[in-house]
Amino acid sequence: MTAVSPDAGRVWTAARGPVLIGVIILFAAVVITLLRGGGEGGSLDPRSYLPEGSHAVAALLERNGVHVEPTDDVSSVEGATLFVTHPTLIDPKRLADLSRRAAATVLLAPPTGKSRLKVETRQPECPLAAKAGQATAGGFVYDGEQRCYDSTLVRTGTVTTIGFSSIFTNRDLDEEGNAALALAVLGQHDRLIWYMPSAADRSQQKSFTDLIPDGWKFGAWQLGIAAVVIALWRARRLGRVVTEPLPVVVRAAETVEGRARLYRRSHASEHAASVLRQAARDRLAPLLGLPVGEDPSAEIARRTSRSAADVRTLLYDDDMPVDDRGLVALADELDALENEVRKG
Amino acid sequence: MALTGRAGLLALIGVLVVGLLLPSWQGILLMLAVLAICVAVDLVLAAGVRRLTFVRAGASSVRTGELCTVQLTVRNPGRRLRGVLRDAWAPSAGVVSDRVAVDVPAGGSRTLSFELRPVRRGDRVSDRVTVRSVGPLGIAARQGSHVVPWTVRALPPFHSRRHLPPLLERLRELDGRRASLIRGAGTEFDSLRAYVIGDDVRSIDWRASARSSDVVVRTWRPERDRQVTIVLDTARTAAGRVQGALGGLPRLDTSMDAALLLSALASHARDQVDFLAFSHKVRASVPRATLPVLVQAMAPLEAELVEFDARGAVAEVLRRAGRRSLVVLLTSLEPSIEHGLLPVLPLLAARHRLLIASVSDPALHAMAAGRGDLESVYAAAAAERTLAERRRLTALLARHGVDVVDALPDELPRALADRYLSLKAAGKL
Repeated sequence: MTAVSPDAGRVWTAARGPVLIGVIILFAAVVITLLRGGGEGGSLDPRSYLPEGSHAVAALLERNGVHVEPTDDVSSVEGATLFVTHPTLIDPKRLADLSRRAAATVLLAPPTGKSRLKVETRQPECPLAAKAGQATAGGFVYDGEQRCYDSTLVRTGTVTTIGFSSIFTNRDLDEEGNAALALAVLGQHDRLIWYMPSAADRSQQKSFTDLIPDGWKFGAWQLGIAAVVIALWRARRLGRVVTEPLPVVVRAAETVEGRARLYRRSHASEHAASVLRQAARDRLAPLLGLPVGEDPSAEIARRTSRSAADVRTLLYDDDMPVDDRGLVALADELDALENEVRKG
Repeated sequence: MALTGRAGLLALIGVLVVGLLLPSWQGILLMLAVLAICVAVDLVLAAGVRRLTFVRAGASSVRTGELCTVQLTVRNPGRRLRGVLRDAWAPSAGVVSDRVAVDVPAGGSRTLSFELRPVRRGDRVSDRVTVRSVGPLGIAARQGSHVVPWTVRALPPFHSRRHLPPLLERLRELDGRRASLIRGAGTEFDSLRAYVIGDDVRSIDWRASARSSDVVVRTWRPERDRQVTIVLDTARTAAGRVQGALGGLPRLDTSMDAALLLSALASHARDQVDFLAFSHKVRASVPRATLPVLVQAMAPLEAELVEFDARGAVAEVLRRAGRRSLVVLLTSLEPSIEHGLLPVLPLLAARHRLLIASVSDPALHAMAAGRGDLESVYAAAAAERTLAERRRLTALLARHGVDVVDALPDELPRALADRYLSLKAAGKL
């Protein structure tokens, strides 16, 4: 006989490949996360010390008496300068509303520019940035009332649009007149709201259904109708289910099994022992050529090595108390005796 | 009415139309309208189901487990009918395939064949005939059912018929024993023939030898034209299932098999067989039974959950069997025999010879041999007690002059037939 259920060794042999791959993936993920972690804050974050961060500008502004409030969710902008690092991430209507309410607005590189210029050292050529002098400028070129640095920095009313971010980064702040330009642009009022909108900005979230094209939406409705039609097709039976009265299934041995359970529950070991002895006597008598009911002990003793008294005790002593364990042993002893007689 | 797969397909095409061309509620309504119109057209143009007429023919009885064919003729008075037809039967009728594609021309008719392989004995009735008539577009169908009654009687399988040839051989031997060892009472004088070496010298007919030039022996043949009354117990104990080579069958089915083998043998031996099935009243009765009549009578019998009325059965046997006969009672050796049958046994034994055939349960013997743990030993004790009870009953019945054949289900038919032959050989019928 061969066992078909796999043992531990075979399970390991089969599973070690996938397990190994899983461990490698997990290990790589942990290492990568550890290596990349720690660098807090992204580019143009006033709390970030990284080359792309803007802590230096924020510190300069604070020293000059401008209170910097970094945020990703604007509430009150009245009397403050609003600096939007990623205008594209905000709903245009909302941006217009915010800039109307703010005392001054600075938008960084909105994609409304006509063309792009290389980022390099440029002359201001306008009164707005005359104090700052040369700066690392470039990027988008915009239209506006006042134009500086080859139209990469323009101002219309209170709204200043800058095509380049170099003057705000830790890396480039100390180049040319960058720091002075940044202070001039951002330090117009005592309060600066440094708005870094994220993609998950709640104010500009649309519901999932708004984003789905109509074709998909109505297609899904039609798909639902198709599902109903297919369900109707499959659900219709070709005629009714045919029932049939079946005869009762009663196993003939059920009553005997019931009696066995009763014996067991009431621990009727002595009764069971006497039944087994009687059955053994009934089987032994014909084997020995004796009429049923006659004591076979003497005849058994003559044929086997057992003594007549022992055999009689085994076959007849119903008075001796028998417990459950004794009953199992008695059954085996009776079998052994019967086998001896059959052989002898 | 019923839709088809094409309706679903049309609705799925609608998904493309709505999604790509008309992404609006109007588009969905349009597709619904197209679907509804197609369905309506199909329903109007499909052939009517109500006016179809059906006629059945074919097998009305078959041995359980064997294949038979039932024909169904569809007559279509209306438009051309295309679609599917299902001839529903009860599950145990064992229809191989109950649905077929039909295509009946207008005013024409088609005959369809359905194969049945009944898995259970008894009358297997057909249920409804359902027709789904598909319209010309194949999108919707009309559906309706008709009642076309037909019954296939699944006869007892008579598995033990394979034992018949060797038994008949023995019967012929019995016949051909002629100058036989047994010349007891009841064997009948057959003929005289010339002595051949090996014949018993005691059977030489000296008077006939004197008249002829050869030595002549008398030949004998087994008694003929005896009556065998088979009484089948269809009461409570016959319902119990006993595991045999063919799976768990009720005792009743094994008893029937034994009864069939015995009656086949007895009718070959030119004995007259009367059959009686009895529970608390007469369930079936076949006087002068032949095998085909007998299987027809047995087929619908089922065990009933009532007590066997031994007094009533004995009265019935006494009423029918005018002359001395062998009464074979197919029942189960249970303690209830003691209260039921024993008191009325003398009545029967006075006029007839009684043979009781009982199906014993192999599970009982398996349980009695159980050893090792407590549960098995208690089961063994319970089984031994039942077996001891059966032995006591057998002894008790033997004291009343009753023969008992107690055998496992696979062996009972053969054992009963053997006992009958030995009784016949001994001229004890």
